[in-house]
Amino acid sequence: MAENFEQHSDISAADLARLSQEAQAEATPSTAKIIWSEFKADRPAMAALFIIVGFIVFVMVGALFINTPKMMETNIMAYFNQPFTPEFWLGADSGGRSVAKQLIVGSRNSIGIAIGLTIISSTFGICWGLISGYFNGYIDWGMQRVYDFMMMLPMTMMIIVLVTIIPHYNSVTLTFIFSIFYWEGTSRLIRSRTLAEAEKDYVAASRTSGTSHWKIIFREIMPNISSLIIVDCTLSFAENIGVETGLSYLGFGLPSQTPSLGTMISNANDPNNITQYWWTWLPAALEIIILCLAISYVGQVLRRAADASQRQGAAD
Amino acid sequence: MSLIEIKDLKVHYPIRTGFWNRITDSVRAVDGITFNIEAGETYGLVGESGSGKSTTGKSVVGLEKVTSGSILYKGQDITKAENRRKLDYNRDVQMIFQDSLSSLNPRKRIEDIIAEPLRNFEHLSKDDEKLRVLQLLDIVGLDADALYKYPHQFSGGQRQRIGVARAVATNPKLIIADEPVSALDLSVQAQVLNFMKKIQREFGISYLFISHDLGVVRHMCNNIAIMNRGRLVEIGTRDDIYNHPLHIYTKRLLAAIPETNVNQREAHRASRLAVEKVYQEQQSKYYDDDGEAYPLVQISKTHAVALPQALAQQLATQEGEVQA
Ligand SMILES: Nc1ncnc2c1ncn2[C@@H]1O[C@H](COP(=O)(O)OP(=O)(O)OP(=O)(O)O)[C@@H](O)[C@H]1O
Ligand SMILES: [Mg+2]
Repeated sequence: MAENFEQHSDISAADLARLSQEAQAEATPSTAKIIWSEFKADRPAMAALFIIVGFIVFVMVGALFINTPKMMETNIMAYFNQPFTPEFWLGADSGGRSVAKQLIVGSRNSIGIAIGLTIISSTFGICWGLISGYFNGYIDWGMQRVYDFMMMLPMTMMIIVLVTIIPHYNSVTLTFIFSIFYWEGTSRLIRSRTLAEAEKDYVAASRTSGTSHWKIIFREIMPNISSLIIVDCTLSFAENIGVETGLSYLGFGLPSQTPSLGTMISNANDPNNITQYWWTWLPAALEIIILCLAISYVGQVLRRAADASQRQGAAD
Repeated sequence: MSLIEIKDLKVHYPIRTGFWNRITDSVRAVDGITFNIEAGETYGLVGESGSGKSTTGKSVVGLEKVTSGSILYKGQDITKAENRRKLDYNRDVQMIFQDSLSSLNPRKRIEDIIAEPLRNFEHLSKDDEKLRVLQLLDIVGLDADALYKYPHQFSGGQRQRIGVARAVATNPKLIIADEPVSALDLSVQAQVLNFMKKIQREFGISYLFISHDLGVVRHMCNNIAIMNRGRLVEIGTRDDIYNHPLHIYTKRLLAAIPETNVNQREAHRASRLAVEKVYQEQQSKYYDDDGEAYPLVQISKTHAVALPQALAQQLATQEGEVQA
């Protein structure tokens, strides 16, 4: 059969190297390159990226050098120590515990939970949505009933109940508990796009080309909704920082001996702290605001890069 | 033996409603059609929008779940997925899609798009595969630098060529061409059709050429089937259909071909109005009480029409007299 093609085309094996080199020169830049040039073209986003990455690395590494149980010991001498002193850069709280150190360990805990939660719930939600949308029919119907059931459960209450029932929990168990309830939104979003995408002819073409269903789902359809996935993941990440924070603030998140951004912000429950001892809660609040803003900036750039048509930076 | 034999093919889409998703009704997209495609020929399937042409085409490549009936290839019923797998069916039967943009994955490079069927069916070495892709690009008249580009970087006509290259990659025996040029403008249409013909000659491919436009089909097809509301209303050779149409639906489709000769515009318009008048007045004669087409009756060896026997004979003799 190969002869058949030889006969009707002038191209032979001898031209292969030259032609593929020529083609290489004309090639469109890879996705990673496009993303990078997109960041270079957008300075605020570049700054945001550095803030996020730098901060996450800083707290992850910094927390390793802090002895948490010792840090959390009450120190009467330092009761509401003023900030900007050599020993307490950001002052101390009512227990005389260093706010700066708590902020580092607390950020590590909160961000760690948010990252874990985003990875688990998004992966699950994306797979669920892709499979449900692609197979349409009975599989979709069954999966959607499970989704409906999960949506019926009052989420916050279920989490609070689970947290109270489980005797010993830490950030890992908490991440898993949250994950049970946070994949639904993603799955719905992904499913609706997959439904539309699966109708397109390139999916039919892949099927007549002999490609398997799983390969079509994850190698053909998924790249085409990557911009949606990226935006959804960044937004969920920003949102997930809030999830843990909110529950800890209400007193149902991490135990109070484990510092987190939520437990720190709950210092603001005390009217005295709000006005007089602002350093106990303000840094954590500012940190959340800055982080969430930076994340959404980065998300925008990633989306632009993923939508090849929308790119600014790449010279095309 | 014909290359493909389609027997009483039916595709009904269930309409589901309610919480339990029960089937309450169905859309009869294809409702009992029978025809054969011979090796090396171009078979035309013509009908207006919604008549079930694409559904038929998709059933033949195995994309559609068939309600009943059979499609025989090498003596096996390929409406069963298991038989398709056994035969490596899609290696021999491929499809060109109507919308070239949506039929090419926007996130994949041309090399990967054209190589997809090769990777699944032929398992060539990396160099052989690349060589084959380059040859295919050459055959459809594209430069080698298309290799690492993405579909959006090409024009509609170029994209349709890429679609053709992918379809011929495994050197198939039959290609379903679902309105391959209806999204292209006229000059490009002719180009694409011409090299589809060229490829047919060189590789001995059969086409099932789907179109709503009898004007285009005339240049491509030896045998033509006219489809109306999921059924075939007339089958015949090019001569049968264009020169001796019997069914009113065929006549209407013919009348709808735009007349390019300015001097005959008036006459063309008059004949179109006459056909339309007959259609309005005599619809009950041509369709049964439910408004559906009759079963086909054979008029000559090649020609069949969906009419009651008596009417068919009467029209055939009339048509014969006009010709005489
Ligand atoms: N997945 C589906 N579910 C329900 N009905 C469908 C589905 N696909 C097609 N149909 C219906 O089946 C009929 C035939 O559709 P088909 O796409 O085969 O028409 P067509 O002849 O190709 O028309 P066109 O020239 O517009 O492409 C239409 O009435 C359409 O609404
Ligand atoms: Mg169609």
